[in-house]
Amino acid sequence: MTHNAQRKLFIFVCLVPAFLFFCLFTIYPIVRGMYISLFDWSGSSEHMTFIGLNNFKALYEDPIVWKAIGNDYFLVVGKVIGIVLLATLFAISVTRLRIRGAAFYRLVFFIPNIISIVVIGVLWRFVYNPSIGFLNAFLSLFSDTPVKTPWLGDTGTALWSILWPSIWAGVGFYFLLLVAAILGIPASLYEAAEIDGASQATQFRRITLPLIWEQVKVSILHIVMTTLNGSFVMVLLMTEGGPDNATQVLGSYLYQMGFKQFHMGAAAALGVVILALSMLTTLVLQLLLRRDPVELS
Amino acid sequence: MTMKKGILVMLVTALVFLLAACGTNGNDNNKSPGTSESASGSPDGSTSASNSPEAIPTGLKGDFEIQYFVGGYGDAWWKDVIDQFQKLNPELNIKQSAGPKINDQMKPRWIQGNPPDVVYIDGSGSNPRQMVEDDQLLDLTDWIADAKNIDGEKLLDVMIAKPDEYNGSIYNIPLVFGSYGTFYDQALFEKNGWEVPQDYESFLALSDKIKASGISPYVHAGIYPDYILGGFLYPAIISANGDDGQILKDMGDMKEGVFKSEPVMKALNQLKEITDKGYIDPGAVAINHTDSQMMFLQHKAAFIPNGLWLESEMKKDAPADFKYGFVPSITQAKGGKFVALPYTSTMAVAKKAKNPETAKAFIQFIFTKQASLSWAEKTGALMNVKVDLESSSAGDTAKNAMKYYNSDNTIVAPVVVFNADVFKVMGDATIALTMKKITPEEWADRVEKAAAKVRK
Repeated sequence: MTHNAQRKLFIFVCLVPAFLFFCLFTIYPIVRGMYISLFDWSGSSEHMTFIGLNNFKALYEDPIVWKAIGNDYFLVVGKVIGIVLLATLFAISVTRLRIRGAAFYRLVFFIPNIISIVVIGVLWRFVYNPSIGFLNAFLSLFSDTPVKTPWLGDTGTALWSILWPSIWAGVGFYFLLLVAAILGIPASLYEAAEIDGASQATQFRRITLPLIWEQVKVSILHIVMTTLNGSFVMVLLMTEGGPDNATQVLGSYLYQMGFKQFHMGAAAALGVVILALSMLTTLVLQLLLRRDPVELS
Repeated sequence: MTMKKGILVMLVTALVFLLAACGTNGNDNNKSPGTSESASGSPDGSTSASNSPEAIPTGLKGDFEIQYFVGGYGDAWWKDVIDQFQKLNPELNIKQSAGPKINDQMKPRWIQGNPPDVVYIDGSGSNPRQMVEDDQLLDLTDWIADAKNIDGEKLLDVMIAKPDEYNGSIYNIPLVFGSYGTFYDQALFEKNGWEVPQDYESFLALSDKIKASGISPYVHAGIYPDYILGGFLYPAIISANGDDGQILKDMGDMKEGVFKSEPVMKALNQLKEITDKGYIDPGAVAINHTDSQMMFLQHKAAFIPNGLWLESEMKKDAPADFKYGFVPSITQAKGGKFVALPYTSTMAVAKKAKNPETAKAFIQFIFTKQASLSWAEKTGALMNVKVDLESSSAGDTAKNAMKYYNSDNTIVAPVVVFNADVFKVMGDATIALTMKKITPEEWADRVEKAAAKVRK
């Protein structure tokens, strides 16, 4: 066997198993999901009836779907702004501003990432509990009558109440990512800037941000994708989409449709919608966030 | 190049093995219909069993598979009755498919058309109406009409709740029985000198007093509307319909106009009234069942709509001096009867059962007073066979409830399983109504629309 053939064989052996598993566990389910979305199927019956695009048509006419899409993007925008701002602020604080106890904060901010999402959901449900929750008890300190706001039960506050824990739970990871990025910037750049009389704000704008932009971009994209695909966990844990569908997101509605209302076909169609929206959003963001690469030379 | 080929061959073989693994499963499946033929060849075991007490089903042969969900009731009772059944039929090859996740585990088998013979339908992911709609269950209408248990009693005579009908046909037999109702703490009521309400009027009067004392009169689990529907709205509808439970069946069958009929509107207005008067705890809409039950146990609310399982569910959390009190309903007019809204978990025979006669014989075997007593003692809940529990070790709530069911002053409403789509809309609308977001008319409008969509 020639050297070249050996090399090819090696590459082949490395790639094929992973590719096969990828096909089996990612490509096949996606294709299968698309296929099922064309049928009227309860998810437990032997019989599937082909109905073409009728599932999509029904979703298009369903006001809850539109509300869920709106809620999804509310969470996306809220989380991107909240997490990126906070993570950047914290990262700058523990690196550039050299506050005391940086190591301590690094640990503390990361703790929510170690806790299981289920625990976070249950924990915050207790915080929001109208009569025995921490939040109302705290607010009651400042008022004469006990506060009994049902944070998760009011159409106006429910989705906001899901947003805060999501930000709280997510910030740690991106914080670490940005800290690592900032620490990778050579100190000499900052020294030179300081000699030239640049303020901290200018240093941030002209040195830090351009050099960590790739990481910020990755953070934003990652937050967008995980929110569109994963925000239903928080919703299911805290409100089950209620009250009266006020906090329904596409993922939770998919679960509701597929496993509680026995419309697996419609659920699969919702899955296809989520897939399409995720791809579209990421694509648009890729274009929007494109900047000329800044490189250290 | 040859190496490449070799790997390709290896991959192909691996794939073949994978497929073969699936294939053998299929072969297993094919085997069973053959064996069952011999069993269904001698179906007289069950029919003769129902004729006289002595003719207990014996000598049944072949394979027999039973699927049962194991949840709060445990599996001690099942193991016991299956063991007895096995002893009577030593040549029967009984397979138990059981567990807390059994509904998910067996789903592929139902989808492939290779279901077990008999199934106990309970737990998450199970819905008897959906199974009927999926054409998975055997029509038992004719059989149940004169089926007898091994003591020679007619099954329909010994049952507390009669089987649910789907457009006139019976597919499943209720095995577990219980009812929703309104719970309160007897100790708290005695301490404050509060009278237990016997009707809607006295409920309103008492709620006013309770509210003045700084406690919320009524709390429910807003995330799961099942509770307020079963404990408040359905009984109210039946009371408003002159104690005739037929209206609930009509709702289950989604008859046009039933959701905006007068009794429904009257009941909705009762719900609106207690909402407007602020008797429902403002936090109720945001909490789940455990939260609402905790509030009830902590005396932050005086009444809670719930099911008979409440006492055992909250055993670990209840304060020592807590005494569970129970009335079936609080929405009836003065002098009106209580309405107990039952819930059941049912048994059914698969339409594609390989051994349907043994499945029926098994159902006849377990619907006895003895089994019912054993169920109450082993699970603390009620089986759907009338039996005197006073001397048994069943819980207080169960005994107390049984007294109501045996009383002339209580109506046991029919068991109705709603279509999941209509139920979802009805639940959402009910919560919206308690949030003052919609009016009863809008409620009716929403649910009628959902029903029309399903009827299509």
